[in-house]
Amino acid sequence: MNGSAAQPKPVGLTIVSRKDKEEAATTRPLSLRLYARLFRYTRGCAAKRNALLVTVLLRAGQGAVIPWMMASTINGPIRQGDWPGLLRWLVALALFTLFTQITLHFRQRLAFELGESVVHDIRRDLFRHMLEMPMSYYNRTRPGLLINRFTSDVEAVRAGVQNVVFASLVNLGSMLVAAGFMIAYDRQLFLLLLATAPILWGLNRIFRTRLSQVHRAVQESFSRVTATVSESVRGVRVTQSFNRWARNAQMFHDLVFDHSWFNVRVTQTESLYLPLMDLNSQFFLAALLILGGYRVLYGVGTTTLSDLVQFFFLAGTFFNPIQALANHYNQALTAMASAERLFRFLETPPDWPEPPAEGRSPVTEGRIELDHVSFAYGPHRTVLHDLCLSLEPGMSVALVGPTGSGKTTLIHLIAKFYIPTAGVIRIDGRDLRTVNGSDLRRSFGIVLQQNVLFSGTVLDNIRFGRPEATESEVREAARRLDCLDIFEALPQGFRTRVGEQGASISLGERQLICFARAMLVNPRILLLDEATSAVDALTEVRLQAALERLLVGRTSVVIAHRLSTVRNAHRILVLDRGRVVEDGTHRDLIRRDGLYARLYREFMLAQTDAAVRKTRSPPRP
Amino acid sequence: MAVLTLLAGVIVLLALARALVTYLNNLNHVRLTQQGLVVDLRSAVYDKLQRLSFRFFDDKASGTLITRVTSDVQNVRLFVDGVVVQTFIFAASAVTYFWYMFRIHRGLTLLSLTVWPFIALGSSLFSRKVKKAYQKNRDLTDEMILGVSEQIQGMYVTKGFAREADAEARFAARNAAVRNQKFLIFRFVTVYGPSMELLTRLTVLGVLGYGGWLTFHGRLPLGEGLIVFMGLLQRLTDQVNVLTTITDSVQQSLTSARRVFEILDMEPEVRNPPHPVRRHRLEGRVRFEHVSFHYTPGVPVLEDIHFEVQPGECIGILGGTGAGKSTLLSLIPRFYDVTGGCLFLDDVDVRRLDLNDLRRQIGFVFQESFLFSNTVAANIAFGRPEATREDIEWAARLACAHDFIMAMPEGYDTVLHEGGVNLSGGQRQRLALARAILLEPPILLLDDPTAAVDPETEGEILETIESARAGRTTFLVTHRIHALRRMDRILVLHRGRQVQWGTHEELIAVKGPYRRAARIQLGDALLFPPLAGGTAA
Repeated sequence: MNGSAAQPKPVGLTIVSRKDKEEAATTRPLSLRLYARLFRYTRGCAAKRNALLVTVLLRAGQGAVIPWMMASTINGPIRQGDWPGLLRWLVALALFTLFTQITLHFRQRLAFELGESVVHDIRRDLFRHMLEMPMSYYNRTRPGLLINRFTSDVEAVRAGVQNVVFASLVNLGSMLVAAGFMIAYDRQLFLLLLATAPILWGLNRIFRTRLSQVHRAVQESFSRVTATVSESVRGVRVTQSFNRWARNAQMFHDLVFDHSWFNVRVTQTESLYLPLMDLNSQFFLAALLILGGYRVLYGVGTTTLSDLVQFFFLAGTFFNPIQALANHYNQALTAMASAERLFRFLETPPDWPEPPAEGRSPVTEGRIELDHVSFAYGPHRTVLHDLCLSLEPGMSVALVGPTGSGKTTLIHLIAKFYIPTAGVIRIDGRDLRTVNGSDLRRSFGIVLQQNVLFSGTVLDNIRFGRPEATESEVREAARRLDCLDIFEALPQGFRTRVGEQGASISLGERQLICFARAMLVNPRILLLDEATSAVDALTEVRLQAALERLLVGRTSVVIAHRLSTVRNAHRILVLDRGRVVEDGTHRDLIRRDGLYARLYREFMLAQTDAAVRKTRSPPRP
Repeated sequence: MAVLTLLAGVIVLLALARALVTYLNNLNHVRLTQQGLVVDLRSAVYDKLQRLSFRFFDDKASGTLITRVTSDVQNVRLFVDGVVVQTFIFAASAVTYFWYMFRIHRGLTLLSLTVWPFIALGSSLFSRKVKKAYQKNRDLTDEMILGVSEQIQGMYVTKGFAREADAEARFAARNAAVRNQKFLIFRFVTVYGPSMELLTRLTVLGVLGYGGWLTFHGRLPLGEGLIVFMGLLQRLTDQVNVLTTITDSVQQSLTSARRVFEILDMEPEVRNPPHPVRRHRLEGRVRFEHVSFHYTPGVPVLEDIHFEVQPGECIGILGGTGAGKSTLLSLIPRFYDVTGGCLFLDDVDVRRLDLNDLRRQIGFVFQESFLFSNTVAANIAFGRPEATREDIEWAARLACAHDFIMAMPEGYDTVLHEGGVNLSGGQRQRLALARAILLEPPILLLDDPTAAVDPETEGEILETIESARAGRTTFLVTHRIHALRRMDRILVLHRGRQVQWGTHEELIAVKGPYRRAARIQLGDALLFPPLAGGTAA
């Protein structure tokens, strides 16, 4: 076999990590708990579900009735030449057919609608849960896999609900009805039929494990396919500029081919399984023919020829559903694997319990205190060590330090995107652990390094945090930021479309939109992480001047690499490897002549380029 | 009894044969569709997606493109599985049935045929109705998935602005739109199928009545006449289900096929010329001749750009937000084609150069660098997968990335998250720089690589650029005068127009945007002593 699902396989473009593998369901076919949980989703439309059950039962009864009525018509009036009787039977049959087709319509429609409603509710819950998961979750989860939950997994569950449960009930029902008729006709022959049951059971057992294994392999490999496509589309610009089409295409072809192999194996197994089931029925029919024929011919027992004929008709009705049931069983395996993944995601608890929302912000003044705060991303990746700080309301604080010193992490902690591994953060005296994150961030204006916009207009994006703001309020906010002219110069001004589907607007413009978005909510606390790194110098100076006015009365924590922009901060904190090494105003720190003074000198040196530093480039191997 | 045993034997043998045929048939079938069709189509769509021009991706959401490679292709397979094969089986069995039925009684057969025109009419009506509905369904689903993927990428924004309730409401509306529209489709489908079956079953009753009448008058034997005929007809009627399912499948798979072929038929806007000029090593001479460019007609982004760069020169580009700096860089590797004027590399129009040759020789560092979820080493070697570990480390050192890479848990073998989200902006940028340097390209295009980097690293990166400049033409977009003044020449853009072009000394000596920017950043003091005013052009 080409490739194995058991090992994480590096495919060059992406690596399937151990985490991805955990996404795969374990072999636990048809757990009742999952069924029960799925069933609970039908509660929302209980009326539909009950109506469906009724139509299903009706259909189950009807399946055997029509052949019986037809047979009776032929055996009765037609055989006897009873013309009015024939007409009566025909009218009855016509009415009954109409009834069955109406039932069929509702059975199908209700099943579809029920499936769709369940899927709708699962998606709703998935999305809700997604919103509840903290940022830390998103930093370790591949987006492609999360999207898979909403697409292929949900689809598999839909198929399960629509086809498997109720169709199986119909089939089981017709089998039971047929069995009832058969028992009435000939009990002994029916016992012969029961003898086939252990064979069916045995076959089922053998194939169940094999099938669920290959199904899992199919889904795993499919997961890899989607994740790769998703990443390739997002990284397509890099691929093109580095000429990697051909190589990526080859890798992808291998992935898809792997996936197809598992599909082939599913079909292989199924096409062994299903015909074997069928073969089993045919063996029974043959046995029935010999035994029943023997008894009719030699007059053993009470079986008559017409009984035997009826029995054969019924045997068909009895055996046909077995194939269908076996098929449903396969679908159920797929559906359950998906359901398990869905519910596992829904059951993943957020990394910390979030207190219930109170609907109002706990921030009054904007005092931020850090009390022996440490933070680690993993066991050996401590980023912040035992920080103790107190930031007064209305104060502007700049965070300065080399890359990796923990500045961004500190901002994330204040916004409660993460919680400290040790120590306490308080805002206006309240421990952040006791404050609902969403409530807290109502008073925040946050601009982070990723400048994400949603698809929509510039206007929509700026008023993301306050959708009720009018256009003139938005313009006013832009004017106060002194960048109204820049927005107006866009192709369609404030109506320019941006986001994933948006025309190309520049990174600098995107940062300005993010900035305006943060200012429009009139925040008490402003967190800016490299908010203006891609904005040109002239605009940045204008923004700086605007900020001088806008920051009055707000607590602000700002990270900026251009030290010219932090000079005027009330307080500068210099971080180095997760510790605050210097703390004071620009003048204090320059006087102290420590790390800040060195960084600042370096910065100014670079600005003025007074000295050409010695170039130290590593030797070419 | 011997006959019975023989019959029983025949049943078993037939069953065995059928099992064997089914098995072989299924196997062949799955090889044809899953391994043939699906693999080929997926690969073709993927390949095409990788080749389509930037402009295509500018206004397409990634979420909708993914489903074309995955579920849409699966649906196209439905066309073979559910339509072609099923239609063939249906036609073959219908012909057989009718042939037997015709042998039994012509009148009855003709009567049973009367229903088919109605089924044809019903099916075409249904197809027309449901076609639009399926298309609408795909669009609505796309929109919902787009909502999910945007939400995942913008999670911090939603959380940061405490707008979870809005996001939920927005998703709920899209989710409900999909469901409600699906209900409409279900109504079509579940009226169509059962009503077609009803028509057929009523015809069967007509046949039964007529057949009964025939038997009464002795024109048709009961046993091998009517009963067999009815048996055959019953089986044929069951096949009507197959037919309605086929009709439904046709519409579903055609909707998907349209979406798949839409991609496959799309011509990349930027294509390799029919008789490309091959250049294995460019010298690096770049000439813009009255170049203009627009994304949407009527909204020019660049106008009349005109300058020439000699091999080995370092060019700085300065300009306000939205001035067209990034666009200008992306014209050189033909991410977009110029819409007016010409762009020459080594005196050859870029549109005549072999596209592979061209891009292989250009190293590009984007403003925002996308990294793949692979090891650090594999990311650096993205453009040269055969590079050795020494080469990779060399490039990383040059890009000032070696130290932080070594500080990561598994060094060069650390697996990054998709998009590189677990790195800081500066770290991402340095990996991207290493990735570009490893190509040792004759032309290096750097789009504001130091924007999110601390001053110390920035200094180091600028040194790297300078030390790597030998033998290559470098374009650097930056806002920082101290970086620009190290460049050989500087291009100043303003709202898509080239407003200044010259050396630092030349530009600082004249009034204009460059001097204004310099004054802001360096302060007046630095403009003195006046740099030999005579050099100004």
